[in-house]
Amino acid sequence: MQKNALNILLADDDEDDRLFFKDAFEEIKIQTNVEFVHDGMQLMDHLLNSDNKLPDILFLDLNMPKKTGKECLIEIKKTEHLKNIIIAIYSTSSSEEDIEDTFIQGANIYIKKPSDFNTLKKIINEVVTVNWHYHTSGLNRDNFLLRLK
Amino acid sequence: MKWIPNFNSSNSLRVIFVIAVFILLFLSSIAYKHNQDLNESSKLVMHTYEINIQLERLMSAIKDAETGQRGYIITRNARFLTPYIYSRDKVNTSFITLKKLTADNPKQQENLRRLFKLIIQRFVSFENCLKYSDPKTYDKRRLDNHMFGGRILMENIRFKVDEMNDIEKTYLKNRLKIYDDEISLSPLFSISLFLTALFFILLAYRQISKDFQRLKVFNKKLLISNGLIAESETIGKFSTWQWDLDSNKIDYSDNQYRLLGYEPGSFVPVKETFLDFVHPDDKENVSNSIEGIIKNRQLPFVYYKVLLPSHEVRYFKSTGKLLTDQQGSKILLGINFDITDEHLLNIELQERNKELEKSNKELASFNHVASHDLQEPLRKIQTFISRVSDADKAVMSQSARDYLAKIEVSAKRMRVLIDDLLLFSRTNTTKKEFIKTNLEELLANAESELTEVIEEKSAIIVANKLPKLAVIPYQIEQLFINLIGNSLKYSKPNTIPSITIESTKVNAEDYPEILDQNVKKFHKITFTDNGMGFDPQFKETIFILFQRLHSKTDYPGTGIGLAICKKIVDNHKGYIMADSEPDKGSVFTIFLPD
Repeated sequence: MQKNALNILLADDDEDDRLFFKDAFEEIKIQTNVEFVHDGMQLMDHLLNSDNKLPDILFLDLNMPKKTGKECLIEIKKTEHLKNIIIAIYSTSSSEEDIEDTFIQGANIYIKKPSDFNTLKKIINEVVTVNWHYHTSGLNRDNFLLRLK
Repeated sequence: MKWIPNFNSSNSLRVIFVIAVFILLFLSSIAYKHNQDLNESSKLVMHTYEINIQLERLMSAIKDAETGQRGYIITRNARFLTPYIYSRDKVNTSFITLKKLTADNPKQQENLRRLFKLIIQRFVSFENCLKYSDPKTYDKRRLDNHMFGGRILMENIRFKVDEMNDIEKTYLKNRLKIYDDEISLSPLFSISLFLTALFFILLAYRQISKDFQRLKVFNKKLLISNGLIAESETIGKFSTWQWDLDSNKIDYSDNQYRLLGYEPGSFVPVKETFLDFVHPDDKENVSNSIEGIIKNRQLPFVYYKVLLPSHEVRYFKSTGKLLTDQQGSKILLGINFDITDEHLLNIELQERNKELEKSNKELASFNHVASHDLQEPLRKIQTFISRVSDADKAVMSQSARDYLAKIEVSAKRMRVLIDDLLLFSRTNTTKKEFIKTNLEELLANAESELTEVIEEKSAIIVANKLPKLAVIPYQIEQLFINLIGNSLKYSKPNTIPSITIESTKVNAEDYPEILDQNVKKFHKITFTDNGMGFDPQFKETIFILFQRLHSKTDYPGTGIGLAICKKIVDNHKGYIMADSEPDKGSVFTIFLPD
């Protein structure tokens, strides 16, 4: 594990997606530690276990077995020492309802899973390099959903 | 309570009658007193005359004695002495009678006593006269003296009798005068009293006949409204009952018997009767409600089942109220509604609602499947294709490269289909918020969305003034995008596309076959293009989902765009139609309610 590197955690039950995610991080050449959990329960166990270092950015899939991403989001925002983790929703769904709900629950950004690997790399690059302090203070419904120019 | 007519006159009637009765009582007591007085005065007159007669008898007896004595003195015949001898008895008899008659008058008694003294002296004088006239004891001087003294005594007696008669007469006169005074006052007074009583009675009679007339009118009204209530109970399937809590008497309206499956009046209801009809499931509830109504004076609607003698179950709704009438007796008033029809209809509606909810849920889950599950494998196919690098492609055979390209195109087309389908279903399911919006703004947004293709084809879009309407903004924007996009897509090759958008306000009655006549005014917006047009036989079918007039290789499309347009216009309670001829362009017309 590298020091000073960003800690990234992806919660996604889809093996292929985890693979794309891992490959993309390897290719963008930013110092990161990427870890994976497979479902909501595992995510919460990971976060609540004090042996694990808390992630800087959590990529959260919504549609997961055992505990959905929305449930995890609510739990995290209720937990005092977890609520400041930056949460990027990472979902196939682009339904207004999901975007609205996660915005209200306090997620920082909403990413619709792209269907192109190069787009994925661009997205990850954008999310990792963004100034989160600046982004969060100016967060609104219009810039919540990440759109690449 | 307003509905009870006010017969206050009964109170004034009572007063009038009491006054009249008192006047009549007064009159009869006066009449009685008159009678008494008359009786009294006639007795008085009789009394006076009796005294008078007795005094005269007394007088005549003494005179008889005097006459007899004179005859005897002159003739010396003893037969003349007979009246003289009887006169003493006569005098005594009269005297006793007189004493009785004047018992109440001390003055007359005194007079009588003196009179008696005089009479005794007179008789002593008689004896002396007889004694001195007798030839044996004849004494002329003494005889003359006694005869003379007898004369004086006789005058004194006459004087005394006259005095007594005068006293009686004066007494009589005074008494009669008092009675006369009393009587003379009354005739005028009693006649006026009688007239007053008559007046009051007439007044009462007038009031009674007036009340009677009013009663007749109210009675008629009551009869009519009773009939109306009975009739409306039958029509409206409701019934009423009254329970007089004081007399514990319960009355059912005719329709109540009918609702319970009986002929009107076929049994006498008591408190428990109604509960017998209530379905066993609801007995406790209804029983509690009846108890509650007495406590709270009001019964909120209670719903329950009723079991008819025919074993039919009917659904009832009841309410009631505790009333207190003018006499202060408590009456429980209740209404029962037979809501079986509504109830069954409600159940049916609820079932339909459930079905609808179910199918809506299915639709929503379909939406979810489309938006998530269906997209996921597709997205992966596309991502994996994107992972095949140019270096990888270089080592592939030509055909493998072609297949890969075709896979990519198909996957893209699938993506468009899914996205369009999602758009279509969301047009239906998402929130419909109507906001007053300037359609020109929405048109400008649509144009900017289509900038790329407009510029590519150098299309000319001309629009006259569009109205401000309460619409779902993003849907109308989508409608404009789809319509303009459609015109641009099917433009004639080698011709600069031109689209004219015009808006006018029209009356619904001018389009009776297509527009909702409940809305008076519509905005008619037409999109006229110079495109390739289509065969007018398809002007209905082009709005149907997945209907395409062209092969997808010539014109890529999903056949969803115009179906979305129709759905959007439907959402706005408007109407959309198309008209065209091949090679002569098309006109799309939308009507939106004002």
